[in-house]
Amino acid sequence: MLNAIGIIYANSATDSLQGLAVERPLAAIPFGGRYRILDFALSSMVNSGIRTIGLITPHHYRPLLDHLGAGKAWFLDRKDGGLFILPGVTHGLLGDDHTFCIKDLQNNLELLQKDFAEYVVISRGDQIFNLNFKKALEFHNDKNADITLIYKDTGQVVKPTDEMNYDINNYKQVSNTCCNEEFGSGKLIQADLVCMFIIRRELLLNIIEKYNSIGCIDLIDIINENLGVLKVYGRPTCTLIGTIRTVKDYFDHSMELLNLEVRGRLWLGQDRIHTKVRDNPPTQYASQAKVSNSLIASGSSIAGTVENSIIFREVTLEEGSQIKNSIILPKCHIQKDVQIEYAILDKSVIVNAENVLKGSLNNPLVVLKRTVI
Amino acid sequence: MKKQECIAMLLAGGQGSRLGGLTRIRAKPAVSFCGKYRIIDFTLSNCSNSQINTVGVLIQYKPFLLNSYIDLGSAWDIDNPSGGVHILPPFLSETKGSWYNGTANAVYQNREFINFYDPEYVVILSGDHVYRMDYTQMLKFHKSKNSEITIATIKVPWEEASRFGILTVDEDERITKFTEKPSQPDSNLASMGVYIFNWATLKEALIADAGDPLSNNDFGQNIIPQQLKQAKRVYAYKFEGYWRDVGTIESYYQANMESLREGHFLTIFDPKFRIFSNEEILPPHFVGSKARIENSLICNGCIVHGSVSNSIIAPGVYVGKEVHIRDSILLPNAKIHKGTNIYKTIVGEDAEIMRNCILGVEGRTTPNQEGITVIEDNHILPEGSVIEAGETIYKARPLDKGER
Repeated sequence: MLNAIGIIYANSATDSLQGLAVERPLAAIPFGGRYRILDFALSSMVNSGIRTIGLITPHHYRPLLDHLGAGKAWFLDRKDGGLFILPGVTHGLLGDDHTFCIKDLQNNLELLQKDFAEYVVISRGDQIFNLNFKKALEFHNDKNADITLIYKDTGQVVKPTDEMNYDINNYKQVSNTCCNEEFGSGKLIQADLVCMFIIRRELLLNIIEKYNSIGCIDLIDIINENLGVLKVYGRPTCTLIGTIRTVKDYFDHSMELLNLEVRGRLWLGQDRIHTKVRDNPPTQYASQAKVSNSLIASGSSIAGTVENSIIFREVTLEEGSQIKNSIILPKCHIQKDVQIEYAILDKSVIVNAENVLKGSLNNPLVVLKRTVI
Repeated sequence: MKKQECIAMLLAGGQGSRLGGLTRIRAKPAVSFCGKYRIIDFTLSNCSNSQINTVGVLIQYKPFLLNSYIDLGSAWDIDNPSGGVHILPPFLSETKGSWYNGTANAVYQNREFINFYDPEYVVILSGDHVYRMDYTQMLKFHKSKNSEITIATIKVPWEEASRFGILTVDEDERITKFTEKPSQPDSNLASMGVYIFNWATLKEALIADAGDPLSNNDFGQNIIPQQLKQAKRVYAYKFEGYWRDVGTIESYYQANMESLREGHFLTIFDPKFRIFSNEEILPPHFVGSKARIENSLICNGCIVHGSVSNSIIAPGVYVGKEVHIRDSILLPNAKIHKGTNIYKTIVGEDAEIMRNCILGVEGRTTPNQEGITVIEDNHILPEGSVIEAGETIYKARPLDKGER
């Protein structure tokens, strides 16, 4: 077991997901045929040996709790530790444009106070990744760091911007930089590339106490302010497939799963992604089925044509239907001779015979949950 | 003492030697069925759906894979504070210890376990049938007839009746005669191997049976005939529904293939009476751009690049490019490499078929086991192999210490 507790900010929100995030928190959006976005952060922590995880929820958390239950599917129904649901703050007129809002932790301070773990691993809840934190924690320990920022390795030279820039020296220590010099690859990152970080629990408690009177402030901003006094290190990761903020993100990152190399990084390795089990029967293919380059989850019944698409669980495709470059969420029913291209069908959509639904690559059509067309 | 009204004893210790290559490393109840299931899933799901929450599983033959699969029974929702799944292996006592010597002996040796729960009724089940049954209906029947022993029966075709234990009943459903595998059956009511006993009756019968040195200690052969002889109230519960014996390669193959038949799927996978399984969580299966899949069942975690028709592909199977699979059953994690053709074959778990093999070639003579080819679990078939239909290919392995 790892000497760390995990915190997942499952309350991140965005206005750019159209219908997908209307009835459900972003973290609960189905992804990759049988998972929900949250599963990736949760499984990564569990696979790293973290057995105490606090999950910060938004106000409409029913779909999250429905999915999580007591956390059994992630082995988090523990006597010691386990899964803790932490109600997030309501931002009111201020908007909710925070990633790691400190107030969310302040309101749930007990979890951090009563645990004995040395470290806290903090992650967003809107990212697709499969990362084992063991190595990062070893690194954090070796460097005797206060904070280790884990950032996306883009593989390209990052250009400095007007926003906050971090300079990373040869010892991977992060310092503040404002000057616009040229930097080599991996020498410079921006705050928005930081997707998770490791912090000493005592330090985190200290920060929360000291910033008590400010209210809503992002932890990353606090780190930026204090780069001079804290020992902050950086560590790149290539296991991050992406962050889901817009419909386009959702569509693109979903479609990336058809690429073997991406699937390899995400779910063909040692560490599995865990999710709620539904015990569906195998997928049934009728003799008219034509499927190519697609991911198909269990419990579906396929009698139509499917190309470059992702089909979730318990979907029914009748004869003559054609699905191309689309994502069909669970329990959709597509009747005869329907054509669908560049579309995302939310759960339980029924499309009656001979309809044609077409979006475009840059603007996929989103059909809301339980729509009947 | 934890008092329970009804508990189940599940006989899962048999080898199932007639399944040949499929039971060399695991007990029969742990054999994969219909893709994602294992044979024992059906019995355990029946218990779960019948609100029987205390199940003793009697094990003996190569139990490790079965035990690890059953785990705590939580996959079937049978883990609960008042009962749960208990694995019951043979054990030592003060003076001696012995293996389970017959089905009745296995239950006899575990009478302390049954006493612990002090039930009114004990359901005796076997872990080697595939069926969907609500035991509460049978128990209701048992109570209404004021029966001491109730045997679940199913009508089988007359021509097959001589393969089963056949029961003759009077107009009140009371059993008058029981014959094991009769050559001239006078009824087509076959015993399903599911019994409900009053615990008092069963205890008495087991103790008497244990004292009989000539007995084979078997429910079908000894206990039931003996109880009929003593004019106990033995009734037949007529079950109508899905029930298959999967004791031989032929019947195993047929029962699997049946699920592909039009309209048959729902009789096995009715959402109102779910069959649970302890599945490994795998990603959705991937179908490559040159793949062709017809009339088949495909499970999670598979990668399919070749063509598959009329077949069942279990979780985690890899089907390479230019592979043709027809009328076959691929068990979990089998790997089929490029250019191989497979007809009417059962490929064992974790078996690997290298490139350009042909399995299930029609031979000249009448093939064994209805022409069904079987590749044992974990076997690696070398490149270019040609296997005739009806053969069973066993894994060649170094002998273990003490094995001859």
